[in-house]
Amino acid sequence: MNNPVSLPLDSLHKEMGGHITDFHGFLLPVRFSSITAERQSVRDCAGLFDISHMGRFVIKGKGAAAAVNHLVTSNLLAVSPGKALYGILSNPSGGAIDDIMAYRFSDDRVDLVVNASNREADKKWIEEHLPKGVSLEDLSPGHVGFALQGPKSAEIVALVESGAPELSRRGALLLPVSGGDILISRTGYTGEDGWEFFGPAEQVSRIYRQICSVGAPFGLKPCGLGARDLLRLEMGYPLYGQELTPETTPFDAGLGFAVSSKKGDFIGRNLLLDEQGNPIHYEDHRLLVGFSVQGRGIPRTDCAISSASTGKVTGTVTSGGYSPAAGGGFGLAYVDRPFAEDFALGAPAYVRIHDQSLPIVFRTRPFVQGGLI
Amino acid sequence: MEKRYTQTHEWIGLNDDGTEGTVGITDFAQKEVTDVVFVELPKIGKKVPRGGETAIIESVKAAFSIYAPMGGEVIAGNQELDSNPALLNQDPLGRGWIFRLKLDNPGEYSSLMDEKAYNAYLSDGGGQPGHG
Repeated sequence: MNNPVSLPLDSLHKEMGGHITDFHGFLLPVRFSSITAERQSVRDCAGLFDISHMGRFVIKGKGAAAAVNHLVTSNLLAVSPGKALYGILSNPSGGAIDDIMAYRFSDDRVDLVVNASNREADKKWIEEHLPKGVSLEDLSPGHVGFALQGPKSAEIVALVESGAPELSRRGALLLPVSGGDILISRTGYTGEDGWEFFGPAEQVSRIYRQICSVGAPFGLKPCGLGARDLLRLEMGYPLYGQELTPETTPFDAGLGFAVSSKKGDFIGRNLLLDEQGNPIHYEDHRLLVGFSVQGRGIPRTDCAISSASTGKVTGTVTSGGYSPAAGGGFGLAYVDRPFAEDFALGAPAYVRIHDQSLPIVFRTRPFVQGGLI
Repeated sequence: MEKRYTQTHEWIGLNDDGTEGTVGITDFAQKEVTDVVFVELPKIGKKVPRGGETAIIESVKAAFSIYAPMGGEVIAGNQELDSNPALLNQDPLGRGWIFRLKLDNPGEYSSLMDEKAYNAYLSDGGGQPGHG
């Protein structure tokens, strides 16, 4: 195992009292104060996350947008230039290589933000599939990325020079600076309004510090990975490696909205459209479901789900946690497809936590609008 | 109360005649565990070997096993943690105690780290990568 990489904001995080952890080979704060308090600040006002571990690629050259469109499940050509799009890099079997954000700036330039753990694999896969004249540039090493998230984000970003308050939801722009450009977009991973910045360390670190200070009077808190994971789980958003793997398709994960049947050919298209049209042939694919726990227990990754009527194990928890809003445990699980339908209709089931079986009930996603809050 | 410490960040303090011990987690551990959501207390009468898993702390971050610093029989659990689990974060060395043991072998106490040795263990990196 290589030594974990220290990111440019690392020393600042330590000054700010961050508790640092090794996340996929990157040293990042898991929390500054308390995970619950940080999560609350994002739901009530604002929070600031270091996301410098995420990868950023620039795909450039004649037909770059069409080339990326061939690699993702969603339709990049249907969004206007200056907009971001969520999509899945699919393998030929429809499984997920990664889930990514694609920022279309023109027919000849698309920026991609990818998961830290998949950066090298993504780069290799994309480069292998780009046509002549289209190239990939990896801007990740040494860059800084951060996310400002929460209902007060618009007010805070308006106070920052080069904050791009004019962006609409999923809008994106490139701000030229010495040493490159800053990718700014009105996007995020928490379900709240927010802005994300990626670019050269010096300039983006300066904006990060500025947001820290102008945001403080609004109640902004620096936040760690703990709050980030809880916030995304409350929204039911997938985390690659847990809800998405090379063996799971977007339909298995409930991400059918990210698969376009109208666009032209793309890698994985045939099997994905077949799964969409003939789900009966895919009964061996498990389906992702949301649930909450009745009683005292917090489900964690790999806890078993069983059917109360048959007593058989029918699924496995992929992500779980404690909802401060609901005062109980909740999570996401892959369950056998026939059982998923019964469970959604109210069939009783259990989750196994520390040698105890606790009843669970089906929940629609996002949890934060599905009855937990 | 004088306390002794384990490498897995529990503390134990003895009663006056040294036959019973009160167990909790250290301040370092409560910071690692973060916001405690609830504590699975052991059943009264449960017999645990030294180093045996005795309680579980569920926090917002993860589940953490709490091991018995000395062997014995559980004679009490801190019921106050049921209604106020945050005590474990607020006062880990006092009101946030977790369980009491009737000790099998009070002599085990002297083999545990005293405060000075525990602090040296922490500054020597004994706290990494995490609790337990």
